[in-house]
Amino acid sequence: MGAALGRHLADRADHIGDCEMSDKLKLLRLRLRSLFKPKQVEQELDEELQYHLQCQIDEGLAAGLSQEEARYAALRALGAITQNKEECRTMRRVTWIEDLGKDLRYGARTLRKNPAFTLVALLALALGIGANTAMFSVVYGMLFRPLPFADADRVAVVCLNYAQRDYIFGTMCIRDYLVWKQNNHAFEDPCLYRNQRMDIGGPEATPEQVVGSVVTANFFSTLGVRPLLGRTFVPGEDRPNTPSLVVLSETIWRRRFAAERTVLGRTIILNGASATVIGVMPEAIRFPRAETQLWTNLPLVPPTRYGPWFYRGLARLKSGVTLEQAQTETNNIGQLMAQQNPYYKRARMPVVTVRDALLGTTVKPAILVMTGAVGLVLLIAVVNVANLLLARATVREREVALRLSLGAGRGRVVRQLLTESVLLAGIGGMAGLALAWGAIKLIRVWNPGDLPLIDFVRLDWGALGFMAFASMLAGILFGLVPALESSRADLSLTIKEGGRTGGGSLARGRARNALVVAEIAISLTLLIGAGLLLRSFLNLQRVNGGFFAPPEQILTMRISPGDPKYDDEHTGLAFYAEVLRLARSVPGVEMAAVTNSLPPNRQGDADSFGLEGQTLGPGEMNPVVTVATVGPDFLQVLGIPLIKGRYFTDYDNEKAPPVTLVSDGFVRRFFPDGKALGKHVKYGDRWMEIVGVVGNVKYLSLSTDTDPAYYMPFAQNYFPPAFLTIRSSGDAGLLAARLRNEIQSIDAGVTLADIDTLEQALDGAVSQPRFNTMLLGLFAGIALVLAAVGIYGLMAYSVAQRKHEIGVRMALGAARADVVRMMVRQGLSLAALGIVLGLGGAFALTRLLKTMLFGIGVTDGLTFAAAPLGMLLVVLLATSLPALRATRISPAVALRSD
Amino acid sequence: MSKPTDLVQGTLDLLILKILALEPMHGWAIAQRIRQMSNEVLQVGQSALYPALHKLEQQGLIEAEWKVSENNRRAKYYSLTSTGRRAMAKEADQWERLSAAISLIVRTI
Repeated sequence: MGAALGRHLADRADHIGDCEMSDKLKLLRLRLRSLFKPKQVEQELDEELQYHLQCQIDEGLAAGLSQEEARYAALRALGAITQNKEECRTMRRVTWIEDLGKDLRYGARTLRKNPAFTLVALLALALGIGANTAMFSVVYGMLFRPLPFADADRVAVVCLNYAQRDYIFGTMCIRDYLVWKQNNHAFEDPCLYRNQRMDIGGPEATPEQVVGSVVTANFFSTLGVRPLLGRTFVPGEDRPNTPSLVVLSETIWRRRFAAERTVLGRTIILNGASATVIGVMPEAIRFPRAETQLWTNLPLVPPTRYGPWFYRGLARLKSGVTLEQAQTETNNIGQLMAQQNPYYKRARMPVVTVRDALLGTTVKPAILVMTGAVGLVLLIAVVNVANLLLARATVREREVALRLSLGAGRGRVVRQLLTESVLLAGIGGMAGLALAWGAIKLIRVWNPGDLPLIDFVRLDWGALGFMAFASMLAGILFGLVPALESSRADLSLTIKEGGRTGGGSLARGRARNALVVAEIAISLTLLIGAGLLLRSFLNLQRVNGGFFAPPEQILTMRISPGDPKYDDEHTGLAFYAEVLRLARSVPGVEMAAVTNSLPPNRQGDADSFGLEGQTLGPGEMNPVVTVATVGPDFLQVLGIPLIKGRYFTDYDNEKAPPVTLVSDGFVRRFFPDGKALGKHVKYGDRWMEIVGVVGNVKYLSLSTDTDPAYYMPFAQNYFPPAFLTIRSSGDAGLLAARLRNEIQSIDAGVTLADIDTLEQALDGAVSQPRFNTMLLGLFAGIALVLAAVGIYGLMAYSVAQRKHEIGVRMALGAARADVVRMMVRQGLSLAALGIVLGLGGAFALTRLLKTMLFGIGVTDGLTFAAAPLGMLLVVLLATSLPALRATRISPAVALRSD
Repeated sequence: MSKPTDLVQGTLDLLILKILALEPMHGWAIAQRIRQMSNEVLQVGQSALYPALHKLEQQGLIEAEWKVSENNRRAKYYSLTSTGRRAMAKEADQWERLSAAISLIVRTI
């Protein structure tokens, strides 16, 4: 009975939680002292025992003993002092820390002893945690890491969006900017900018083309950034007739100007004209585009007409004004613009943060979907490990029962099992961290379709913290249910069962079934998501750009003559004629032509137009459509079909009457009677005769509807730079080097850029969808494998458990087929439930994919039918292997097996 | 002298709690008090007493404080915490029931 009482007291040993509030703090202090001030505690113990000894001596003296005798008697009564002290120390120990060490050692030993289990679990966890850690870094880096601009949240990009045209966020022209500026109250002094390819030349190095930005004078002060060297633009430097000034990026300053400080004040050649370098921006400042290499001042020449629409606004909110208030104001300004110009139907002026402008519209939804997907992968990994642990719980039943019967509290057992699972998750997390590191490296190198803000993605302390948190959470999640299950072991039952391995409680069986159902459901959801992206990607790849020449036989390059003398039509045309002559002289080149537009996404120009016999109301105008300026042979090089009339020829030159070709879509939209040939179209103030109708070509992107287009002869609308396009008899890529040499020999100022085959261009156009598809496919694949392992494990375990039963059945004459059918039925019923739930989940979740899909709906029938079938097949395979093994059981052996 | 094993483990805890319920005391005094109150039947050696005290302190049932003793020396005085008071009442109760039950059997047979 004393023992019972003793254990009752001992049981409360670690439970600070049992104490009353007022005592908790005291106790905590006491324990911390034992942990961190062991010397002082030890000294006090000495003093306490010394006091006891002294009292004993006093007692002896009082009884009449001599000092010597009293001391000797006291020491004898005290017994072995050292041993006694040790006992006191034991009592003082902070047991949970001790226990933790013990549990960790024990856990590590258990994991080592079950290498197969440990390996499978670690692999699942490493994949799950690694994918999530990588994704965390991406999400944090792209969406949350502070931008290098002062108060970046207060700076917004302002665009113009109207019914006819739908660029990303939209663009405006100088006239719109002036209207906005006049009516603006929400922002500090608004500025205007435009991205542009520029030729940079000079004595330093060979001329090259870079992405630059033309900006108003207040651009940098609005961003709130300071130059690394020199100065930025000052007010007034955007007035007409201001000399050209350049601010270089640190990147190009280091690469092209060898990081010389003397670059300030130097004159360089920009687009053939001289410009003075006034400053250098630090590398971190990458705006408006990640690849922007220089900024030059924009002369605000008063506009005479609407267009061209290449500009966007940039402005800082006045203090106290919110983004929403600014949006309300700009919407009103948009309405005002629509009143002034009916062409701006439903004009809006979207106000987006700098970050959103950098990210564009496609990245955020993709990040959201991928984050959800990796979350599901982790969940499935957790479920899988929980399942493995449950299976093992049965094996460990006797160990746990033994502990319980030896007096361990249930809490203590749960804690020990949880320590083990958190340890497992911790190791998995470390491996995951390595995976994440590799994945981020890979994404940065690969950088599918120039992902914006990718430089901001890195593995840092935040990611490490996230990994630790995710591991901890995962460990507790997958460990808790099995731990609670195990510790509930019915002592008498387990011990009575003797040597027999695990009856496996009914509840535990149900828990395992539920986990497998969850695995199937989650992986099916992912599988359907991946299937949808795959179908959409295939659709995109099947899109015909409108040209029929083999894309690998077409080579294109942007050629800029460099020197401003070529701006003159006569000299310029002679230059490009020479380019064509040299190109045709290269062996392997079959045809060559110049153009300012190329499929699938390099629209050279877009503008409105006038139509013969059409009367427009005041302020009314025809839609802005693609305008392609092409030389003779261009349509033949690409194999764009002629539907009516004729192609351009060498005779359609500057001296001949102006002519134009229109696309089939143009005819359908603007000539409902189909009679376009011989009619006239006005570009600017020049009327051109329609001499032919050609097939529709995609110049904007593969996934948007084909824009109507009209074509003008290069010789009648000369404007450099232009693309050279050649068709070769074989692989066009092989001709690139030779062509480059030939063309650069014409003039030292010539720059060549974007040298690609059309095949590469098409490939690049689908790189982002392909990346998304591969990523989601990878996640779905991992999920599927994990689910397959899960169901295989369950069935194998179930077979092992029912060995005895199967033996009996077979001994009583059951056929092998019956046994297999019985086992498979069990697996399939779980699969059916999982599939139903997974279909539901997919139905609810795939709408998130909506903006990423092309050519199919979010509930695409084929995908929703094929994915479950595939899932069923996997389940069938995972089930039948163990089931077949069951039939090989010899009844005699099975019956004896326990 | 009676060996500490005579005092079954756990019972000593109860005795300590009970004695400390009266007033704060140092180790020596607790041992003396147990001896006196049990009419010299129970004798607690320090080899059992101090580990028990330290354990109870770790469990938050008693707390310690250094004070000057009646003979002018520094001594560690233990007193009951409110948690300890609660625990004592419960243990005492349980002890009463147990011993009553046992004496019942011992007397009847």
